[in-house]
Amino acid sequence: MTLVLNIRDLQLAFKSWSGTSEVLHGISLTIGKGERVALVGESGSGKSVTARIVLGLLQELRGVQISGSVEFQGQDLGAMPDRERRALRGTAMSMIFQDPTSSLNPVFKIAPQFQEVLARVTPGISMSATRVRATDLLREVAIAEPERVLDSYPFQLSGGMNQRVMIAMALANRPALLLADEPGTALDVTVQAQTLDLMRALVTDHGTSVLFISHNLGVVREFADRTYVIYRGNIVEEGPTRDVFENPGHPYTRALMAAQPKITGGGLPDLVEGDRHYLEPRFVHEGVA
Amino acid sequence: MSLLSLRQLGKSFQTGAHEVRALQDVTLDVADGECLAIVGESGSGKSTLANLVLGLFPPTTGAVEFDGAELPVVRTLAHRRSIQLVQQNPASALNPRRSVGASLQLALDVHGIGTSDTRPARVAELLRDVGLPEDLARRSPTSLSGGQRQRVAIARALACESRLVVLDEPTSALDVLVQAQVLRLLADLRARHNLTYLFITHDLAVVRNIATRVAVFSQGRMVELAETETIFTAPQDPYTRRLISAVPVITEEEKTMRNGLSQS
Repeated sequence: MTLVLNIRDLQLAFKSWSGTSEVLHGISLTIGKGERVALVGESGSGKSVTARIVLGLLQELRGVQISGSVEFQGQDLGAMPDRERRALRGTAMSMIFQDPTSSLNPVFKIAPQFQEVLARVTPGISMSATRVRATDLLREVAIAEPERVLDSYPFQLSGGMNQRVMIAMALANRPALLLADEPGTALDVTVQAQTLDLMRALVTDHGTSVLFISHNLGVVREFADRTYVIYRGNIVEEGPTRDVFENPGHPYTRALMAAQPKITGGGLPDLVEGDRHYLEPRFVHEGVA
Repeated sequence: MSLLSLRQLGKSFQTGAHEVRALQDVTLDVADGECLAIVGESGSGKSTLANLVLGLFPPTTGAVEFDGAELPVVRTLAHRRSIQLVQQNPASALNPRRSVGASLQLALDVHGIGTSDTRPARVAELLRDVGLPEDLARRSPTSLSGGQRQRVAIARALACESRLVVLDEPTSALDVLVQAQVLRLLADLRARHNLTYLFITHDLAVVRNIATRVAVFSQGRMVELAETETIFTAPQDPYTRRLISAVPVITEEEKTMRNGLSQS
């Protein structure tokens, strides 16, 4: 199987005046072609910084120490000059953020924002060509009146509509990898469900691989083929989504599943006793511990 | 006997030329000691309802009755003391320049509860009540975790010994493990202090496990009101069904239940 993304032993630390804080302690993660992979964890677990490293956003900052390797379609991102890495962004890989309304520029209408995206692959694309292409892309995300949307400012559209515009833009240049950081978290549940269905259909059609970052267990369960559970910068469990949810092997994963209230009832989730087991390995062979 | 009664409550906002009817004709009795969940999506009117109960703005129509008496448009200090609020985001609910203890003591000072000699002891007691160590009183809220901050906000609501607490998405900003602890704390406090909750949320999984009754709101109207069990097993309104069917779930059991609702 060809790997679209291959992260090996990735470590990340931020240096500041008060010392070094280690954020990722050697995580490994792979995504095959067309695979939907979730990275699930709580705030501060390191899931968003992982996406930022893949996008190449952290490498350019000062005070950031990264070791390990990130290979995208067989190319080592760490060995790549900044200029080449930047060229991948918005073309071969793109990202959808949590809050669609603040990800779009409020002072431009949707059409010129589309032009900017399309120009990454087709420099100097005309406005009329942009509108033709954007109309198709907006129809793909089930927007009924693409012409009206193209002539609107983001604040004139609903949150769900903006999220669909973001998805259309992210998929405009047919990226091999889509990074989705908490997509739909800022939306109402009914809109969130529609958005995820739509996103799943589109990535399946185009064979796009997805790194899906979320703290919402329900959303991960419904969207991802495979799931990685991250806790304090360590991957504690990995496997097919169904297995991870139905038969969690790690104490931390089990605690997460137990803490999630269920719509079938069963009372308030059990109190979690403490986190001393969360960093233990899943399997300890006899005679080692 | 009902503690809070909403009588044909309605609120409209004037925006430019047109009128937005945020809440229309809501009549609802909240029983003493119950946990009534107010459920709905953005724009459903649930926050407007909370603000009307708290008296933050006057209703356009109808009235709010508390403990058998109609609440005036301009609330007195005593009225404000009797209904307390816990907000969604604990980071912005507490003054970052005031220590945790000072924030709690301010609530006691404003409402003249106790004397300056007894207040520090009461602050310590409040912190213990929400499962926090007493020495947290000296710390700044900025040095606390999200869960600890929300506990402080809850302690502040308890400080006034009010009987009704409006909880506006109290656990939406928290991680799932912390959420579980805060929900358990809220349930314990309700039982220990005989509190009544108006629990505003969009999270139906939380509602199922904490509420006694559920009121579903859509576009400013209450579309369904029932015991929690009934709302989930036999929802009548199409919107309620749609809402429950859209909840992302993690177990097969939940999926079966949800699929059953969306098909029938």
